[in-house]
Amino acid sequence: MFSGDDNMTTHSAKILASQEAVDPWEHSLQMVAVKRDRLEFQKLFEHFAPLVKGFLLKGMSAYGDRTQAEEIAQEVMIKVWNKAESFNSAKASVSTWIFTIARNTRIDFIRRTERVNRQVDIDDIWHDADSPGPLVDFQQRRDASVIEAALATLPDEQSLVLEKAFLEGKSHIEISQELELPLGTVKSRIRLALNKLRILLDK
Amino acid sequence: MISYHPDSRFLTDFAAANLPLSEAMCVSVHLEYCGKCRAHVKQLSEVGAVLLESAGRESLAAESFDQVMARIDTAEPMLTPFAKVDQENGIGDVPNAQDSRLTSLVSPRALKGILRAGFEQLNWVQLGAQLRIAPLIVDADTRETAIYDIKAGGKLPEHEHRGEEITVLLKGSFSDAEGSYSLGDFIVRNKGEVHQPTVTLDMGCVCLVSLERPIKPRSWFYRLLEPYVQYRMGRAAAS
Repeated sequence: MFSGDDNMTTHSAKILASQEAVDPWEHSLQMVAVKRDRLEFQKLFEHFAPLVKGFLLKGMSAYGDRTQAEEIAQEVMIKVWNKAESFNSAKASVSTWIFTIARNTRIDFIRRTERVNRQVDIDDIWHDADSPGPLVDFQQRRDASVIEAALATLPDEQSLVLEKAFLEGKSHIEISQELELPLGTVKSRIRLALNKLRILLDK
Repeated sequence: MISYHPDSRFLTDFAAANLPLSEAMCVSVHLEYCGKCRAHVKQLSEVGAVLLESAGRESLAAESFDQVMARIDTAEPMLTPFAKVDQENGIGDVPNAQDSRLTSLVSPRALKGILRAGFEQLNWVQLGAQLRIAPLIVDADTRETAIYDIKAGGKLPEHEHRGEEITVLLKGSFSDAEGSYSLGDFIVRNKGEVHQPTVTLDMGCVCLVSLERPIKPRSWFYRLLEPYVQYRMGRAAAS
């Protein structure tokens, strides 16, 4: 089902999308996109801004203080407002979409402190979920509750490495250094965890 | 048909945005060609989102929402620096459509900023008759990033890798003792491996290359040349 099926038509993608559980935040985001609805935006803000700030604080302890987390969380929510129109419910859930925005804003912030006049833009490298791109994907998104249930069954050592990767923003190499484990062990723990989440990566 | 993909480490580190920019750029370009890896990265982002929901909330200052609305009301629409330049120059999203060297490219978005002025305008350093290299400034990390342009039928000097090397094929094809590679393939060579890539006869080949450390050519000629090459590459990157 997740095998790079670029040929699926828009029509069948829509049918698939309509069969899924309703995303509680989709309506709010659509109202922001179409009507610039401030009340709906406030609902999104109240739910997501504290999550985003928690995420930022976990991942940027080495880079900044709490006031910066607050400011960057605000920046993420401003992007949510500004980019609301580009949200595509067939491609991602609202929370996945906001996760990718928070992730990119965090990496952008970390890179901002480097004094390099680089020729690339962070949003041009990590652009999978927020723009159509030259090739459009119609893979069905998955219901968060399925992933949540699978996550709950993981052994501690596997959920620990996943959290370090996704929330604390640590690479395989950084995790292996911190936990004093061989790189191969970190890699296989993450792969085992992903397998249980039905994400079957080649190797 | 793409047959070489980033492994689970690259894809996970990419999806969580923990991959250094030079490598992330290579993964990003591969993703534009590879629906299967794109689907995987999307699944990984979904995992990130579920973990985000479980991360624990940190309440914001009481006035935070009003501050955000005030920023939205007063600020110009948020634009990235490149989007601003694009707007000023009236450039759309297809800057290299007319660039004949890269017509087979899907114009990877990760290379948009780099190819802004056009493929020929990169800081090319000619190395022998068959190869030219354009060093790129990607980040402050220890890796070197470059675009290699090799003529049809060209052969690179046999070289040993002192560090990991990632190659993503942007145009054409090449082969070495391990296999043959085509558009979008993501090829990793590890420290200590020796190889001599050969480009197919009928078409040249363009690659994005990310090197952990400079490669070490084996033949005497290139070994003598090496300090000079490093010097010129350094100057091109600095200019």
